Amino acid sequence: MSVDATNKAQAGHDTGEATSPAEPKGGGPGGAIAGLVHGPAGRNLGLVIALVLLCVVGTFTAGDRFADVNNVLTILRLAAVIGVVSIGMTFVIASGGIDLSVGAIVALASVWATTLATQAIAEDTHWIVLVTTALIVGTACGLVNGVLIAYGRMAPFIVTLAMLAAARGLAEIIAQRRTQIVQDRDFIDFFGGSVLGVPVLVIIFVLVAIAGWVVLNRTTFGRRTLAVGGNAEAARLAGIKVQRQTMYVYVLLGLLCGLAAVMLMARTTVGTSTHGLLYELDAIAAVVIGGTLLKGGRGTIVGTVFGVLIFTTLTNVFTLNNLDTSTQAVAKGVIIIAAVLLQQRTSTRRRSP
Amino acid sequence: MPGKDAEPLLGMTAIVKRFPGVVALGGVDLDVRPGEVHCLLGQNGAGKSTLIKVLAGVHQQNEGTITWEGREVTLGDPQAAIDLGIAAMYQELDLVEGLTVAENIFLGNEKARYGFSQRAAAAAETEKLLARLGHQEISPHREVGSLSAAGQQIVSMARALSRDARLIIMDEPSAVLDSGEVEQLFRVVRDLTDQGVAIVYISHRLEEIREIGDRVTVLKDGRTVATGLAVEDTPTSEIIRLMTGREIEYVFPDRTGEALGDVVLRVEDLRRDDEFRGVSFEVRAGEVVGLAGLVGAGRSEILETIYGARRSDGGTVSVDGKTLRRGSVNAAVDAGVGLCPEERKSQGLVLEDTVTRNITMASLGRFARSGVLDQGAERRAALEQTEALDVRPTGVDRAINTLSGGNQQKVVLARWLLRQCRVLLLDEPTRGVDIGARSEIYALVRQLADDGVAVVVVSSEIEEVLGLSDRVLVIGEGAVLGQGTADEFDEHRVLDIIMRGDAA
Amino acid sequence: MSRTTIPSRALRLVAAVGAAGLLVAGCTSNSPEASEDEGGGQSGAVSNNDEPGETVTIGFSGPAADHGWLAAINSSALEEAESYEDIELRAAEGTNDPSLQISQIETFINEGVDAIVLLPTDGAALTEVATRAMEAGIPVVNVDREFSTPFAARTTVLGDNYGMGVSAGTYACQLVEENDLTDPVIAEIAGIDSLPLTQDRSQGFADALEGCNQEVDNRVAAEFTVESGEAEASNLLQAAPQIDILWNHDDDQGVGVKAALDNANRDEMFFIGGAGSANAMRWIQDGEMEATVLYPPTQAADGIRVARLLAQQKGMSDLVQPAVPRRIVLDAPVVTADNVEEYLPLGFES
Repeated sequence: MSVDATNKAQAGHDTGEATSPAEPKGGGPGGAIAGLVHGPAGRNLGLVIALVLLCVVGTFTAGDRFADVNNVLTILRLAAVIGVVSIGMTFVIASGGIDLSVGAIVALASVWATTLATQAIAEDTHWIVLVTTALIVGTACGLVNGVLIAYGRMAPFIVTLAMLAAARGLAEIIAQRRTQIVQDRDFIDFFGGSVLGVPVLVIIFVLVAIAGWVVLNRTTFGRRTLAVGGNAEAARLAGIKVQRQTMYVYVLLGLLCGLAAVMLMARTTVGTSTHGLLYELDAIAAVVIGGTLLKGGRGTIVGTVFGVLIFTTLTNVFTLNNLDTSTQAVAKGVIIIAAVLLQQRTSTRRRSP
Repeated sequence: MPGKDAEPLLGMTAIVKRFPGVVALGGVDLDVRPGEVHCLLGQNGAGKSTLIKVLAGVHQQNEGTITWEGREVTLGDPQAAIDLGIAAMYQELDLVEGLTVAENIFLGNEKARYGFSQRAAAAAETEKLLARLGHQEISPHREVGSLSAAGQQIVSMARALSRDARLIIMDEPSAVLDSGEVEQLFRVVRDLTDQGVAIVYISHRLEEIREIGDRVTVLKDGRTVATGLAVEDTPTSEIIRLMTGREIEYVFPDRTGEALGDVVLRVEDLRRDDEFRGVSFEVRAGEVVGLAGLVGAGRSEILETIYGARRSDGGTVSVDGKTLRRGSVNAAVDAGVGLCPEERKSQGLVLEDTVTRNITMASLGRFARSGVLDQGAERRAALEQTEALDVRPTGVDRAINTLSGGNQQKVVLARWLLRQCRVLLLDEPTRGVDIGARSEIYALVRQLADDGVAVVVVSSEIEEVLGLSDRVLVIGEGAVLGQGTADEFDEHRVLDIIMRGDAA
Repeated sequence: MSRTTIPSRALRLVAAVGAAGLLVAGCTSNSPEASEDEGGGQSGAVSNNDEPGETVTIGFSGPAADHGWLAAINSSALEEAESYEDIELRAAEGTNDPSLQISQIETFINEGVDAIVLLPTDGAALTEVATRAMEAGIPVVNVDREFSTPFAARTTVLGDNYGMGVSAGTYACQLVEENDLTDPVIAEIAGIDSLPLTQDRSQGFADALEGCNQEVDNRVAAEFTVESGEAEASNLLQAAPQIDILWNHDDDQGVGVKAALDNANRDEMFFIGGAGSANAMRWIQDGEMEATVLYPPTQAADGIRVARLLAQQKGMSDLVQPAVPRRIVLDAPVVTADNVEEYLPLGFES
């Protein structure tokens, strides 16, 4: 007999009786300290340690080739694109959703922004046309996702799975499965260049991360996102426009996918329907090991940034040591499981008295 | 009647069960004899659910002893209870709708050999069980989801029997049945008791208890106020008196008698198909209107419809003369309506968030300048509210789930106070709230009304509605059965109206 | 960031990119310049084999053209068929679903076509139905991805992945010798590592390098996409601050590799590509790339020709044997600045 289920069902029905044994005792002053250790600071500490460990391993095994400004910038540059997507993903996951279509949206945006027609307009005017096109395409895809999920009341998993298929398919149709080379040198030079030695892509990543942090932690938008993810029903009954908020987070992620497409176009000099393959998994992995709760309600931008850096650095260290991709994949899997285990432990400790 | 003077099958003595912040059972005695129908009575919140969960091994008592056939036993988990022969049929049937009748009956106890399920054996056994219950017409291969509520109940009962249950707990089995089906249920119950099975029967419907019950135990505020009364010898009025009479009197604040203001909330002929109909009332500034009724009477539905969380099928709700858009929480909130929902944890709070965030979530705009929150101001406002409401432990940065029920309720109230709402809808405001904290909540509600808020209170505790409200609507089966000022009613009269309404 | 799993899309793509080869009997379309290339073996039409014969119906089925190389496979096959007035082509919709492709072949069998040219989505999965076609007396020409038994096809036209590696390795050895490189750093950017075609290419490369006592110093594996090429190359360039020879298996991911090289301002190495995309050929023309190992997308066109000969019961006139060979493995020549003009028409737009 499934007593757990009945227990819950029961709890919901017999009014007035204390049915939940899980209600914690009111914590003393120790609660605050424990909260801090097991809260965001504690989790990020673990990530910092993981990253530092990776760097130590890198320095030990690859020496100067690892601890080199150029190498660090390479790591950051490679982290930038998936990083921007992951920051958007943090919002979606914190709101209790999921988006599997990010890679496909990146591909579609990159393709749309590099069609002959778009490039012709850009040539006549300015490369900003390419950027705008990518951003609009990304935002539009996000809007479709958001409207279907929020107002169509469909499961995010299904909607974005459909978008994943459709967007990449559309990208293939538009590009006719060709690789579209960006003709505008100014575009490549601008985004591929550096300011004071820091690649523009890295600067964009940093700016997006800072903005993401501020929005998530310091604005009504972020607060509402977390409230919706934490308890959508409570948020709705508190007068928060849950549907609108849900839609917004997917639109935000779509916009950031458009930006990621621009960055990827600059990095690779092309737009193609094969861009962004498996971004959804990389982004979700980075967000989750960063400490954002997969069920929503808690999100951490700093954690996500660390998550992205850990994966990117891992690949770099492995490549510097000439190790094969299979070993890398194993290491990555181990890291994901370890991180989620850690997350579960900290969050159960938080919840139970 | 069988087993009338037999040795008790089950004995529970001085059972105490505490949850953090709440004493759910404060000393309960119960003895059940083989072959009897033992009715468990009590108002909502009296501790019936907790008691049967202790009995089913879901919860463990903090104090007291349980004996089974005279031997003391420990019910450490549900399996221990099942092994003894105790089976529970919960109010919400715990069946898996996508599985067949036979599969459900043997769920967790599958008939299998070498890991292969023996479907034929299970089906044959199922047929036997169903026949014993007089329901041969149900096919073991039918999907449970396709059965009627009554049919599902039979399956649930068959499951209890399949474990050789000697004591079956039935929690409001008649709630989902129509009168014909109830008759059928009673027939099955009688068959079972003839076979020596003991039944613990929970129901709100007194006439059912008259018909089927042998003995009655009445719970009140987590204690046994009477146990083992013979149904035949106990008049209904006595039972009602036992259910309502209190050992602990709640302290209700005096009605200050301040002049009432204008009508703030007006509900006209509000209707939701299959839930309630023809609900009309108005609430003035400074007035508390209570909706009394039992669980399932439609009170919460009415409240949630007023709030726009459910979409009405007819009628209007207006605040300050302005009609609210149907089915829009935002319209209600914008008009100054606030709701403290019935399910505080699942509907009211973001449990992992801090007290501050839970308080400010309905007024975020106030602390933001172009979307950026002033967290200092937010925290100060929350602090101000928690101090005013005496939320304990103090400290607005702790997670809300570290607070007791009463303090969580205060936080939800604080949310709407901060928003300075005009109309406050309170659904079971003292549910899961400790006795001591209740008085505080009552005082708060009165204070709010005196400050000019129009308050609507829903509670299944009739005394609470009567003590707190200026005017009372008695709700039963989705209709307003009576209304008047609180002075015109007492608990007996309300129960009487409800029981009559139910019987109708 | 590298991927932990390979999606079926990527697999398809890989198969697409990976398959390619140069033909023995006649190259691409009937365009004269195409049929005159030397490296690609012999052009077909020196005999009277091209003279119109009895009209034959050929069924053609290939994977969905979700990549430049496959698009080229399909279009060259269609063009080839069109150029013969005695071929009536039944081209099935490209698909990546083996079961759909099986039913397409079944339809061909029922229609009683004279020959079938089949580029299977999955060689093993299509073996059974191909065998049935053979048993029904319809010769099957198996292109690029081999069936699991030899009885399923009359003739098999294959690209040579191992040969590609050998060509690249041999060319690398030649570069070492010509430029007198002592202890050169040789790097390799492979495609998806788990695929046999990648393993074959890498093996061929290593074996050829062994011939001049060299070995691969740094190796990474990308995923046949521009993006992965860029990412892997970026890391590789950090791992090896000085590279003398770099072989990249695939010109499509090569676009990304090239971007990484440009980003890092690294032009010290000889950059050798693979497959032979039009992009790569233009880079060779412009001196931005040393060479690429050809793997042109004309196997299916080749298959069409062979199928026509089989259906008309002709042999290959340049062979003494009167029948069409059972197995045709295509050459993998190296395209350099010296011969790029000849090969340019074969380059496919990726």
